[in-house]
Amino acid sequence: MDLLTEPLGLLFMQRALIAGLAISAVCAVIGVFVVQRGLAFLGDGLAHAAFGGIALGLFLGASVEHAVWVSIPFTAAIAIGIGVIQRRTQLRGDVAISVFFSFSLALGVLFLGLRKATDRQINVESLLFGNMLVVTPEVLTVVVAVSAVALVLTLILWQRLAYAIFDPELAAISGVPVAVLEYLLLAQTAVVVVVAVKAVGVVLVSSFVVIPAAAARLVGTTLARVTALAFLIGTLGAAAGLVASYHLDTPSSATIILIHCACFAAALVLGRRRR
Amino acid sequence: MSGDFLTTIPPTPVSLERRSAARALQQTRPDAALPRVLDVDGVSIAIRDKVIVQDVTFWIPKGEFVCLCGPNGAGKSTLLKGILGLLPVSSGRIAIGGEDVAAGHRAVGYVPQRKGFDRDFPARAVELIVAALRGRWPASIRPEERERARAVLAKLGGARLLDKPLSGLSGGETQRVFLARALVTDPKLLILDEPTAGVDARGRGELLELLTHISRSDELAAILVTHNLAAVSKTAERIVYIEAGRVLCWGLREELLGQSSLTALAFQASDHHAHAPDEE
Repeated sequence: MDLLTEPLGLLFMQRALIAGLAISAVCAVIGVFVVQRGLAFLGDGLAHAAFGGIALGLFLGASVEHAVWVSIPFTAAIAIGIGVIQRRTQLRGDVAISVFFSFSLALGVLFLGLRKATDRQINVESLLFGNMLVVTPEVLTVVVAVSAVALVLTLILWQRLAYAIFDPELAAISGVPVAVLEYLLLAQTAVVVVVAVKAVGVVLVSSFVVIPAAAARLVGTTLARVTALAFLIGTLGAAAGLVASYHLDTPSSATIILIHCACFAAALVLGRRRR
Repeated sequence: MSGDFLTTIPPTPVSLERRSAARALQQTRPDAALPRVLDVDGVSIAIRDKVIVQDVTFWIPKGEFVCLCGPNGAGKSTLLKGILGLLPVSSGRIAIGGEDVAAGHRAVGYVPQRKGFDRDFPARAVELIVAALRGRWPASIRPEERERARAVLAKLGGARLLDKPLSGLSGGETQRVFLARALVTDPKLLILDEPTAGVDARGRGELLELLTHISRSDELAAILVTHNLAAVSKTAERIVYIEAGRVLCWGLREELLGQSSLTALAFQASDHHAHAPDEE
């Protein structure tokens, strides 16, 4: 029992656990639609857009903590841009994401390079890899609030989103606002990714979106079951990974992702046996 | 946008020739006094300023089975999208059961071409059918919904498909489930967009049998888009033949299929348009 009570008795671990659970839960549920829509690369693209947005915020004089408020509209705009290109051109989603990925990363590097030598030093490594264990109460509040709103919104819209992804034409005939939902999903994913970047970093955030959903997809036979399984894999993996990282003295986000990957491997074996 | 600014499809000498040939055919229209399930009145539809469907008029009374035929790129699918409310009409009016498309869409059952849906989507047949009842994808199925889905599938000889994953169904089975989906809401009008396309020979035969059965209904009106002459000859009471976005002829099956001129026109048209881009 000490295995659990010892780490969870510490305040920074409690904060990390709440942040990890919130991020994992919302990323896993949104991830189900992202993966089913064939946009697994979206999380990566938006995380790099978030990097560009944070760099823009820093360039404009905001602190690292407050640059997120510049990054949110910036990343949401990039997400909408991806949606517009996908709907109005012949290009596939992964091409649109790749273009914006490069654009945002280049902007981010450009903005960081344009900062004056006298400006406050930025720890780019913490921006890229994040650290769940140093989440401040202010960041935790934002993470929990954004995750809760996004999760509730996704669950409210779940039936319409699912229909729109299954067959946009049939959904539209039934009165589902397909285009609006698609843009909403993209913008919502953008906001969640920006907030999650604060805790898990640019490089690792897309794993929280893709891996639990992909593992659940391997064994789930209906979209409702896939969603429930993704939620369980995401949150249980986050809790287990965080506790394991404490005892093994390993980076928390990376440990969580490795546990998610273990779940994916198990799902792969289970899925094959079923077939 | 005003229709005056839209690009129109210029009538080619070939189509003018066909039009005069078609005018010579006897074309019996439905009794105008009968209540109309579908009324397409002087409808034009444009996509990106290009007129695809131009001044199309026809109507379908209760219980009538109509085949909408024409070469690739003639505007059939565009017209269907207009009837389904997926594309706005530039001019004219489409009414379903006397109501505008937006209000009348609940009276329509639609069987799309097979290629439309996400084949990797984790779903069972029962969920697809219940989605049509609710207008949303079901997270869980209530017993009464399941029974309704089972009953409609059973009528189509597909009760065993109820809990099968859609990804594991053959082409014929998939279309049977989509047909059940279209019929579960008890529609007044059934719209079938090339349901036999991409289905193997056995599945096509089974599907054709089902369509023939449906075509005998006195209650349900239907509009079938097809290139399959066997389907037309087995199901159609009347044919609406569209070419270059316009109605070339509209009459009883015997009047149009019985005339070698139309069949010849159809084949000529198909050959003529074989390499044309499909603007539908």
